[in-house]
Amino acid sequence: MAKRGKLEIIKDLLIIVNDSHGRIKTTPLLRQTNLSTTRFKEYYQELINKGLIKEKNNDGKVVMITDKGIKFLEKYSTIVNFIKEFDL
Amino acid sequence: MGNIMVNGMMNEGLSLEIIYSFVIILASLMIYYGTKELYELSGHKGIKYFRQAFLYFALAYFFRSSIKFALRYFNVMAVFDIDPRSINSIIGQTTLFLYIYLSTMAIFYLLLSVKYKQWKNESVMFLQTLAVIVGIISVIYNNPLSHLVINLGLLVVVVGVVILSKSGKKNNLQIIYILLLLFWVLNVLDVMIPGFFRTFQLIIYLASSGIFMTMLYRVLRNTGGK
Repeated sequence: MAKRGKLEIIKDLLIIVNDSHGRIKTTPLLRQTNLSTTRFKEYYQELINKGLIKEKNNDGKVVMITDKGIKFLEKYSTIVNFIKEFDL
Repeated sequence: MGNIMVNGMMNEGLSLEIIYSFVIILASLMIYYGTKELYELSGHKGIKYFRQAFLYFALAYFFRSSIKFALRYFNVMAVFDIDPRSINSIIGQTTLFLYIYLSTMAIFYLLLSVKYKQWKNESVMFLQTLAVIVGIISVIYNNPLSHLVINLGLLVVVVGVVILSKSGKKNNLQIIYILLLLFWVLNVLDVMIPGFFRTFQLIIYLASSGIFMTMLYRVLRNTGGK
């Protein structure tokens, strides 16, 4: 199985959150991503910093997808095609 | 009668410069703003450098047209011909420096967009310094041969990197990049060496505009703008 690129991992993370009715706890999210805890933490923080997901604390840490995150999923194939087209 | 003909030719030349600058600046800014959303969503470094290249192209061509207008206004052939005791000389040389620095940096950013994975983070700082040095040399030395050597040297190095960095599957893009580099050098030499390609100016302008329009078309086609 080919190694996933950074953008693909971000997309996979967002799809998991989005498919869980737009919100999911961090533990099942980590389990479903197939990433090590260290790498998961890096990506998780990056997604928070980019505003693609946001945290909501109720009875445990819940993650929600933002409008920007949904936009990323909509534009994912355009971004990937653009990178390929210009060899970036 | 003679004066009317000279004025007519001057206006024709000025109109050509305005249209040429307008086309390049507009195409560059459309590429820059057309890729804004993709960059904001992805944060991809390659897209970042690609956008910066065209922002710098837009700024460079703005200063290039400023130089061209100034030369016509002062009725001189080169920036160095402006009276060195006047404030206009300082303004002229500053504009020339900015043009050379920005256009060199535009090319370097284009290079970075395809090479950033192999190059270290310090490369940006190194290339910025190199562009400043090229800019300073252009302002200091009033010698057409030195400008020819520097710019052709840069062209050879950059084209070499572009050719070596490509796998061969994107030949089309490679040709566009090489033509972009070639016309960048011709545009610089047009400003630095008076009358360098006077006879072919229209052809060079048309070809140069065509390359930018091709890039714009490809960007719009791949960003959903078309």
